[in-house]
Amino acid sequence: MSVLRREGFAERPTGSELIMNLLDAAQEAAAGGDCLKLVKFLRDRYIQFSRERPGSAGLFNVIRQILTYVRDHGCTGVRDFIAGLKEGYDKALWSASEVMAKRIVDGEVLMTNSNSLAVRRLFEILVRNKVKFSVYVLESRPGLEGLILADYLDKLGVETYLIVDSAARFFMKNVDKVVAGAEAVAANGAIVSKVGTSLMALVASEARVRFFTIAPTLKISLETVYGELIKLPEGDWRLLMDEETRKSLPEKYVAKAPLYDVTPPNMIDGVATELGLYPPQSIPILVKTIYGSYPPQLTPLEKLFSELLGGG
Amino acid sequence: MEGIPREVLEIADGIRSMRIRGAGKIARSAAEALKIAAEKYEGAREPGAFRKYMARVADLLIETRPTAVSLPNAVMYVMQAVFTPASDFESLRNSVVSAAARFIEESNNAVKRIAEFGSRRIKENSVILTHCHSTAAVSVITEAYKQGKVVKVYSTETRPFYQGRITTRQLLENGVPVVQIPDSAVRYFMHEVDQVVIGADTITSNGAVVNKIGTSQVALAAHEARVRVFVAAETYKFSPMTVIGELVPIEFRDPSEVVPPEWLQAHRNVRVLNPSFDVTPPEYIDAIITEVGVIPPQAAIMILTERLGWAIDKIKQAGLTKLRFEDLVEE
Repeated sequence: MSVLRREGFAERPTGSELIMNLLDAAQEAAAGGDCLKLVKFLRDRYIQFSRERPGSAGLFNVIRQILTYVRDHGCTGVRDFIAGLKEGYDKALWSASEVMAKRIVDGEVLMTNSNSLAVRRLFEILVRNKVKFSVYVLESRPGLEGLILADYLDKLGVETYLIVDSAARFFMKNVDKVVAGAEAVAANGAIVSKVGTSLMALVASEARVRFFTIAPTLKISLETVYGELIKLPEGDWRLLMDEETRKSLPEKYVAKAPLYDVTPPNMIDGVATELGLYPPQSIPILVKTIYGSYPPQLTPLEKLFSELLGGG
Repeated sequence: MEGIPREVLEIADGIRSMRIRGAGKIARSAAEALKIAAEKYEGAREPGAFRKYMARVADLLIETRPTAVSLPNAVMYVMQAVFTPASDFESLRNSVVSAAARFIEESNNAVKRIAEFGSRRIKENSVILTHCHSTAAVSVITEAYKQGKVVKVYSTETRPFYQGRITTRQLLENGVPVVQIPDSAVRYFMHEVDQVVIGADTITSNGAVVNKIGTSQVALAAHEARVRVFVAAETYKFSPMTVIGELVPIEFRDPSEVVPPEWLQAHRNVRVLNPSFDVTPPEYIDAIITEVGVIPPQAAIMILTERLGWAIDKIKQAGLTKLRFEDLVEE
């Protein structure tokens, strides 16, 4: 894979993996029965994620749930609560992938990009259910995580076609369904996903190919209910090449590499969640089902932190 | 090869071995070869024999790169003069030599004229997006920048070969502010863009543009955002064979351009598909800028019939899928 570093190949945890990792780390931070340590840990992560992955709604939702628990119940049972969250998320992710799997029929050709854990589980379920299918995988720059997904599919024994991001439209005519993961789902049903997803969705919509996303409800960005925009981080040439390649380019060379983009709801045929397949426009119904009201009663994270840390 | 001047054979060999490359250069070299062939002709001083000889040279040249468009177009342009009715040998030869010279001159001036016409279509304070590398597109953007109209250019990397880096380098050399973006980010940036300017490999009779893979989704994203798409292309990029329904073949290149061979060997269930070009339908193109003027893509057929009408008639008459000039010589 060393040759691939030259092309900007990088292993980055998926949104779902980050959520799981965060829960594991929170579990450790709470180990001594010291909740102040846990809250401080969560605050550091919150600051870090706000900078690095501001679009990953699941992370912020997890932080909110733990903080709310600590506020309401103190430290007692927080470790069980965190363990429950992780188990719950893992189950929700499997269920969402199961829902999606029901929509794939024998002999279908799929297209996807990046390296979503939810999409990987979908493929695993399909193989387990002996559904025959093949997959076009976009290499997904920056990062080229499509190669990790192709590697996963190879090991599953699935017929896989790896193509450059630019070739999505060329092959779309051969495709039956497009499936993508999501970093966040906004209140209006738009999804934040790996950059290029919105282009793939546009190409699908032009070719009248159905586009689905798999997203457990934890990925619904509650802040967007109040009109918050989801921030999208951008990187530079470092995401596209190694130092040596950069040196071969002019001094004034500038590159901009966004990590995520927004796919509008009109290009999405369904959001597969643990509660079923929902049209993107019905996200408010989901929010109401889960949180009991619309809009949900939401304490801003900053406020929760200052309550628990006393302004520190 | 008998009786064909050495310089002509050298040019043919240069095109075949890709020592001579780039659509424009290939076309001009072919015209140059025909010019030399006519000037150095030593056979019988009568039109019939001369035509037969020129047809042999033409076929030799065309066979060097069977899939190029610019090459047969240059040859057809000159051969049109060869097959024009003529009473005497000398005036026929002169008209052939001047047709070849005219083609070379027009071709040399083409990019300049395209830059001039194209730059007029760029609005004040424009953000431009371009894909891959095209000399004509870079010239349009540079000329518009000199006129103070270009604020910023987005240039796509253009995987797998990164031709976008050539574009970026050239634009920087011309002083144009340019930002490189991955191909996947085209839709992300499109809402900032005012105009898309791209080149073309081949233009078909219905106005579809065959160009580097990814062009068609750039055009689609532009269309969605109501951003204008301009294609900068010399007239020798228009394909006469498409008039009789021939499809433009799309080359699939080696997978190792996308991933290293070791990766491929380690992943037996994965096939890497690496098409070089895609087809952008005319409805996503606002105008094609040629050296003879700005046309809507649907008027491509007009360029073809006006510039290469003679050759197209011959192709139709003979029902050819491939033009052989020797067959056209009447005994």
